[in-house]
This record gives sequence, structure tokens and C-alpha cells, in this order.
Amino acid sequence: MTANRWLRTAAFMLAISALTAMPANPQANPAAPPHSPHPKATPESVAAGKEVFAGTCAGCHGVDGSGSNGPNIRGVGAQMGPEGVYTRIRGGPIGSGMPAFTALDDATVWKIVDYVMTLGHEDAGVATGDPQKGKAIYESSKCAACHAIGAEGGDLGPDLTHIGVERSIVSLADTLNDPGHNLPLDTGLQERSAYTGYVVYRVVMKNGKAFEGMRVNEDSFTIQLRDAEGRLHSVQKFDVEKVEPEPGKSFMPSYKDKLTPAQINDLVAYLSSLGEA
Amino acid sequence: MRAAKYVVMVLALCGALPSFAQVPYERLLKSDSEPQNWLMYGGNYGSQRFSGLKEITPQNAKDLRVAWAYQMRGGGVMESSPLIVDGIMYVTEPPSNVTAIDARTGKPLWHYVPQIPRDFVPVGLFPTNRGVAILGDNLYLATIDDHLIALDAKNGLVRWNTQIADKADGYAITQAPLALNGKIVVGVGGGEAGAHGFLSCYDANDGKLLWRYYTVPRSASDPGADTWADGSWSNGGGTTWNTGSYDPELNLVYWGTGNPVPDWNGEGRMGDNLFTCSMIALDADTGKLKWYFQFSPHETHDWDSSEPPILFHATVNGKARKLLALANRNAFYYVLDRETGEFLTGVPFAKQTWAKGLDAKGRPIKMPAEQIEPSAEGTLVYPTLTGAINWTSPCYSPITGLFYVNARDGGAYYVKGERKFEKNNSNGVVGGGGGGMRPGPADETTTSIRALEATTGEKKWEYKMVGDSWTGTLVTAGGLVFSADAAGNFLALNAETGEPLWHLLLGSAVRSNPVSYAVDGKQYVVDSAGNTLFVFSLP
Repeated sequence: MTANRWLRTAAFMLAISALTAMPANPQANPAAPPHSPHPKATPESVAAGKEVFAGTCAGCHGVDGSGSNGPNIRGVGAQMGPEGVYTRIRGGPIGSGMPAFTALDDATVWKIVDYVMTLGHEDAGVATGDPQKGKAIYESSKCAACHAIGAEGGDLGPDLTHIGVERSIVSLADTLNDPGHNLPLDTGLQERSAYTGYVVYRVVMKNGKAFEGMRVNEDSFTIQLRDAEGRLHSVQKFDVEKVEPEPGKSFMPSYKDKLTPAQINDLVAYLSSLGEA
Repeated sequence: MRAAKYVVMVLALCGALPSFAQVPYERLLKSDSEPQNWLMYGGNYGSQRFSGLKEITPQNAKDLRVAWAYQMRGGGVMESSPLIVDGIMYVTEPPSNVTAIDARTGKPLWHYVPQIPRDFVPVGLFPTNRGVAILGDNLYLATIDDHLIALDAKNGLVRWNTQIADKADGYAITQAPLALNGKIVVGVGGGEAGAHGFLSCYDANDGKLLWRYYTVPRSASDPGADTWADGSWSNGGGTTWNTGSYDPELNLVYWGTGNPVPDWNGEGRMGDNLFTCSMIALDADTGKLKWYFQFSPHETHDWDSSEPPILFHATVNGKARKLLALANRNAFYYVLDRETGEFLTGVPFAKQTWAKGLDAKGRPIKMPAEQIEPSAEGTLVYPTLTGAINWTSPCYSPITGLFYVNARDGGAYYVKGERKFEKNNSNGVVGGGGGGMRPGPADETTTSIRALEATTGEKKWEYKMVGDSWTGTLVTAGGLVFSADAAGNFLALNAETGEPLWHLLLGSAVRSNPVSYAVDGKQYVVDSAGNTLFVFSLP
């Protein structure tokens, strides 16, 4: 790991310490059982946590947390905070296949937490743009029409509140230039480890009507889609003539020709700062 | 005459004579003659998961509805394949609990909860349980912490409790044992923790060990030791973590074996690594190896060969043969002669990119190493690490002659890691796998129910589903195949054509093998979703 990456990780840990002092998120897990306080994360604790993760967690969550037969958990640290991750490990989310790891001692669980907090963050890169200018570009480009930061903004695209710790610099720039080729992975349901809810489908009904929508959910018999205006559609597959994914397509426009490379760098710098302070 | 009847009745009630036991071996031997019951994990000794019941048919399957549901007492996901014996269902719950239920109404009758040490975390597997065995008046349970426990089927009281292995050596058990004539056969899991695989057989009456067969050499002079470079057999592996099959005429037990250790880094264990990723045929009385067939020599993707072997009879090349079919995690479907272990057929049943094919003896002709071996940056190979099939069971219908399998198509980036391996690794502090995987291209992994001609592996039909389903299959004499998609739609297909006939969304992933039974002449189909067991019937 480069010095830059360590600095970034350390900054991230500090940010997370600040987050845990905030009021409880109403969507957070139920309270964890009584446990020892979180010891300060160190390079050693992250390395030790990585080893435990390899033996205990990687079988389901993949060697780098990007999923296997369990979900992708890269970035969940930013959403849940260390206490949330601790509770998830100890409690095992009900209805999922994840067991409650009640037998690991507290010190070991905290090491896993320290490692999980770094997942999705190791290859972040360094932002070279100006975040203040980037914020102005975010506003003038009306990104908030589709994306939320905190309580502000739309919900057609992914929530960006923690995007700075969920996505790398490279990945953010890729998405701005070519959104359809860099769709975000879903981190929700266990059976969707490599499933994204932002794939655009074209549906042609047997009565000739056609529309496009992002997939919200899909099984073998039905598909639920959200169109570009945010309206939900639920269709049964036997009513449709054709239901086809459109690889490479996204409802988000490309900013490659709308912004200069320098402006994209500024916007990336702004986005990468989100979730860190 | 009346007095004699009375004496017989009293003796039966007291359970005084073994011949009056509820499920003597003879009932297991002829399990197909009582389709109202499901007497062992695989339905019969051939693990065919075929139900002889016919009330539910392609014509009336559209009327299926939930008859009752049972919600587990704890969390986790139910993976159990229940037994149904004379109107009573025996189902297991994570980690190793047993519940008896009135199979007609769903009312629980008793629970058994073993004391599992709180400091035990199995490595590389979920702490769950997939079912019990029954013989005489006892149920047999193998626990996650390596005990074989005999329970009184009437009340769940412990008859005896034998330790199979030491969890400190990485062993953990999730499988249902297999009951033979006076014997209980059970394997072990823990390949990622470096457990040294073996299959054991116990006296059903007292839990005394009768024999044990180690699947990986334990000394340089043991058979197969020369297939492990530098004494690397001492790493272990070759676990026996899924329930096998039995041929009473040949008196052979068939069991699949798991990966060599460490999984994804094979550099330190060059050679074929016998008898990992193999089918072993053992004499049921002595535990001696009759034959073996290794599916995946020197395996480096964690493609265990622990899938249930299905036994059936068919004519091949004009000769009536006793066959063994296995849909392997490595994506090939194999047919072997189960008397000799001779390889007869092997064809892919799911997408695979690791082998050009199989040679005349069934040995894989692998693609060049740089295309398939795990690497630091990750090598994209099909199937996924969880395999073209995993622990869930396929099924076989003697009526259609088809083998039905829920097949997974998808790839993964296989990563080679440090060969960090420690013995006595029971707390999961260090994984012994030497790598792992990252998922392949998003949205690509799908599962399909495929019907294969059992003797050739030729695909007759397939039913494509959305997502990555972990459900086994059941086929019935009524002409239906039951399984579920990844979202939790429990579904019925026409066994001849694959046409979908009925489905119901159960609200959670279905990670178990469906079974069927009847009470008072009414047919039921069972499967579980999340932590709830659902039972279906016609109105």
C-alpha cells in the first residue's frame, strides 16, 4: 500500500470515528449486544482483520469483499459505520444466509471491522481537481435532479451521500464519462451478489406498447422497472413480447462532451470528498 | 389368539423387541414401496429424490396452495431436507437442532437443541444442518461440532452421543448421516480449515466406531501418498461433507470427496492429490476401498466432488448395467459403472472454460495453465467458485429416464493468495485456502433446471431462471419437477417438457431440497424459504 493510500485510510478512520458520535441512523441495525469499545484502527489491526476475513468471510463475500454467493460489501463500512459492521457480524441479518458470529472474541471482530472499513477504499486514487469548483459544477449541471446528498436531491440515481468512500476516483471519472459501462453494483440482497439495479431494459408488450426502464427487481416471472421519469412499472413476462437488457446504456447522460476534462476532475474531487467529513 | 395379539401389542408399545422397531432396515431397503414416506436424505439408497406419489399432476398443479408453514425458532436459513415417517416430519434447524412436526397440521411435537460450544466458528461453511437419518426407533443427527447423536424418535431424548472428530482440527458437519443395516455412515466437512477427510461407520445401537476410511494419505506409505509432492498430504483435505449413496446388492457405499488443501494455491502440493475430488466406493462392512474415480486431479478452484451420486439401472451399449451418475461442481456430468468404477460418459452440463474435454478414461484435458490457474490479479474461469452445482441435490426419474439438475452458468475471477495455512485452525483466525475469488461479470450468473438423458448426459430440455438459485430438485411419478428460482419462486415444471405450470413467491431465498409425502392419502410437497418451512398441497 502506498503512503498516500495509508494517509487516505487513516483520514477515513478518523472520519468514521466522527460518524459514530452522530445520532443513531434510524435505518441502522438493532443495538449490538454489550461489547468492548472499538480500539483505534491501525495498519496492524487492518492486516490482522484481513487474515480473519480470508478464513471466515471471503467464502461468501469474495477475497476483496466484492461478493461471491454473499453480497458485495465494498463500501458498506461507509454506510454502516464500525458499530454497524460490528453488529452485522455479531447478529447475522435476519432472513439472509449470514450466520451470527457469536463465537469470535471482541478483539477479533473489531479487527474484521477495521478491514471491512477499508474495503472499496484501497484503490481510491488521489483527486487532483478543486472540490469547491466541483460543487458548483454539481449544482449547475443539476445532478441533484437525480441524485441525493443527505436529504437533498432526487432518487432516480444512486445516493451520493457516501460516494467518496464507496467509489474510487477512477471509477467516478469513468461513470461521468461513460455511465453505461460503469453501472454500480447492488449491495442489497444476498441473491444479487453481482446484480445491478441500474441496468436499462427495453420492454415490448404483446399489445405493441414499448418502454424503457431501469430494473428495480426481477425474477423468472416478473420484472419491475423504473422509467426515466421515475415511474414504476411491474410486468409479467408472459404479457411481453420482448424484455431485453440494453448493455452499455444508462439513464444518466455522459458528461464527456458537456464538461471539460478539468471540470470533470473538479466534479470528481467534490464527489470524492463526500462521506468523509 | 386374543392373548397373543395382546402380548404383541404390549411388546410393540414397549419397543422391547428390535423386530418391532418403527423403521427396521427392511423398510429403508424397500423405501420406494412406501412413497407416502420420505425415509432418508436422498429419498432412497440411490439418492434419486424420486417420489412415487401421483396425486399432483401437470393438469392440477395450477391449484397448489400452502397447506401449512412452520417458522423456525432461531435465525439463519433452513437448508434441511426433512424426513417424513408415518405422519411425523423430522426437520433440522441451524446450527444442529431437530424438530418433530405433525406432518398433517404443521404442529411442532418436540425440539432437540444440542449444546454447541459458543467459541466454535467453522471455517468455510455455514453452521447449518441438512437433515437426520432414521433407523429402528432412533433418529441420527450429526452436529456442527462433530458429534453423532442418536435420539429417540418419539420424544427427542438422547440415546447416545459419540464424538466423531475434534473441532480443533477444523472438522465441522452439516450433512445428514446415512443409515444402513445396523450401521450409521457419516462424513466430515472442514476442507478450508485443513481437516483431514474421512468417512466413518458407527454401530447404530451404541455409537461404537466400526470402521473409518481416510480419503487422503496419513503417511508416506499410504496409497496415493506419491500423488502429493513433498509430503503435502499432511495438509489434509478430501472431506466427505455431503451425504452419499448405497447399493445394498453390492454392499458398497458411494461418497464424493472435497478439495485438496490449500484450495486455490496448488504449488506446494503438485501431483493428482488422491483421493480428493473423487468418488470412492467402500465396502459397507469393512470400509475398505473397492474402487475410486478422480474427477478433478490436482484441483485448484475449490470444485469439490461432494455432489450426491445418483444410482440407477440402464442398458448401455446393449448391456444392462448398474450405473452411478454425478453432476459435478466442475460442470461435467459423469456416468460410471458402479460395480467397477469404469468411466462411461462425461459431458458438460453447464458453461465451463477449464477443460477441452475428458479423455477416454474420464480424465480432464485441461486448458493451458495460464488460462485457468488462479493468479494474483485474478483469472476468469467458468464455472464460479460455488460451481455448476454445489450441495443441492439433482434427481432422477425411473419413469422418464431423465436426470434433473439445477445448473449454474457463470464465471469468477480466481485469485491465488499466500499459502498461509495453519493446523488447529478452528477459530477461523486464518483461512487455509490460499486465495479465493472475485465475482465474474455482473448479472451474468444464472441457473437453469436442465433435464439430461441419464445415460448420455444429452440435454432434453431446460428451463432458464433469473439469478443464482440454490435449490435442489424433486421429481414425482405424477410427472412434475419441483425447484425454485433465486428470488424464492417455488415452481412446478412438467417433467417431460420443462413447461412451467405453477409458481409461488415465498418471500426469501429457497436453499434446500424439496421432498414429497402423503398423509391420509393426500400428497404434500415441502420446501423451505429463509427461516420458514412451507408445505403445499391441492385444496
